[in-house]
Amino acid sequence: MSLLSVENLNQVYTDAYTHEEMTAVGNVSFDIPEGQFISLIGPSGCGKTTVLNIVAGFIRASGGSVMLAGKPISGPGPDRGVVFQDFALFPWKSVEANIAFGLKMRGVDKAERKRRAREVIELVGLSGFEAKYPHELSGGMRQRVGVARVLATEPTMMLMDEPFASIDAQTRRVLQQEVLRIWEQERPTVLFVTHDVDEAIFMSDRVIVLSSRPSAVQADIEIPIPRPRTWSDVYADPAFVRIRRELMAMLGVDDDEKGS
Amino acid sequence: MTGIALRPSREPLSDSGRRQLARRRARLSSAAWFLSPFVVLVALWAVLVPALDVSPRTFPSLASVWAVFTSGVTDGSLWTQVFASLARVGAGTGLAIAIGVPFGILMGISRGVSGFFSPLLRFSVALAGIAWIPLATLWLGYGTGAVVFIVFNAVFFAVVYTTMLGVRQISTSLLRAARSLGAGPGRMFVEIYLPGAAPSIVTGLRMGMGFAWRGLIAAEIIATSSGLGYTLFLARQYYETDVIILMMITIGVLWLLMDRFLLAPLERRTVERWGARRQVGT
Ligand SMILES: Nc1ncnc2c1ncn2[C@@H]1O[C@H](COP(=O)(O)OP(=O)(O)OP(=O)(O)O)[C@@H](O)[C@H]1O
Ligand SMILES: [Mg+2]
Repeated sequence: MSLLSVENLNQVYTDAYTHEEMTAVGNVSFDIPEGQFISLIGPSGCGKTTVLNIVAGFIRASGGSVMLAGKPISGPGPDRGVVFQDFALFPWKSVEANIAFGLKMRGVDKAERKRRAREVIELVGLSGFEAKYPHELSGGMRQRVGVARVLATEPTMMLMDEPFASIDAQTRRVLQQEVLRIWEQERPTVLFVTHDVDEAIFMSDRVIVLSSRPSAVQADIEIPIPRPRTWSDVYADPAFVRIRRELMAMLGVDDDEKGS
Repeated sequence: MTGIALRPSREPLSDSGRRQLARRRARLSSAAWFLSPFVVLVALWAVLVPALDVSPRTFPSLASVWAVFTSGVTDGSLWTQVFASLARVGAGTGLAIAIGVPFGILMGISRGVSGFFSPLLRFSVALAGIAWIPLATLWLGYGTGAVVFIVFNAVFFAVVYTTMLGVRQISTSLLRAARSLGAGPGRMFVEIYLPGAAPSIVTGLRMGMGFAWRGLIAAEIIATSSGLGYTLFLARQYYETDVIILMMITIGVLWLLMDRFLLAPLERRTVERWGARRQVGT
């Protein structure tokens, strides 16, 4: 049974000045079964963020349907936790208060909020930083808070839009493994947008490739690499090498270049 | 202070210790710089008025102003006037914040609301302050009510405007994050819009209180029988230039104290705590 089902999704933007219409998302359909980790990749500007924002309920689609657990999406909600590229932490709240925010909104009492927040803080490796403010943290740590804030509310789905794009390459590798480790414990359903082919393969059960604008699903590829995965294992896996070459060709990226 | 300058640069001094010393030194020197023009002015006053034999009807001597000051302090009359004025500023400002901040947030959230009120707001900003005194006295009579209204008026428009700008500067992803974590309109107001706009609100408050302070003096001259402005104006009838000058100094000094020890630190602290926004937003 698929948890999320996107059908014939279509998004037309109207330019605010010229009033010209532009079809960003042409016709996109895909399903995500419960507990799967799915990556969405595609050329820049093909509408990956748009699709994610529609699923998140931030924008309303021009056409098509998005169903979560059989119900149409009608706005943002805590059943879909969003991890943002720019972290979007509340600068006036401590790490712990940021992470407990969703629980507070749900009316969970203070003691329970604290307990749960501490649990998640431990899980993402932020112990000792509970009382710090976002600007006192490194980029990598900030995104740990971003992930923890979503995990704390135990959403049915996690949506991530290039969550590691503004983090340095080394920390990114660490965070990717960390997020996978956490994912394996909690098994939320994940829609993960990235432009990094390696990252998409490493993280996902399936990679969905969108064509350039107006976009449609160009390919839907299973990743048969066993879990738990580590970067050193995955790099050596023949399936990784094969799928990577395939995806690079599809995206028109030169193959002897490392996926950015 | 001098010991620090002599310290060899290699000698270990903890980072926080050094920063603290540097900060203290900076603060002292900025205070000295701040006071120096006033010192020069007072010195000139002390020398020139007797030297040129200026009539007390034109300008008082330093000694006579000092005498008025000490008698006002000892019999408490100066404090009474100061307190009367400060209470009016406090009441007007409190009201302006209580109404202006929520209204400003509403303007920041809704294009419709801000579109409708913006022209009115801009029109009123030009008038904010003393232009309202005639109407204020007609509506509220001669008394504290009219003065509080003038203060309210000055702070209100500044606060509404900067609150609106502050709300608009909150990044889209922050608003989306809060909503997707389940924040309803009420929660958004308290948890996101209010703290998100806080640095901007405080800036507006500081600006508005500057207008209000000037408006207050003018309103007191016209509409009341107590307070610094009233005393200032009353003295003119008796050619008491010493009282006039003392009131002018008190008005200026009170504003400087309020700005330097209340508003500026408040502004600095909010912006510092929120300073992250610039980095986080990139
Ligand atoms: N609010 C908007 N108004 C008008 N056009 C928009 C808007 N949002 C996105 N677009 C346009 O829609 C297209 C798809 O944008 P989107 O951000 O979804 O692409 P993307 O695949 O996420 O790109 P990237 O890989 O660069 O992040 C782009 O051409 C973009 O300019
Ligand atoms: Mg994008």
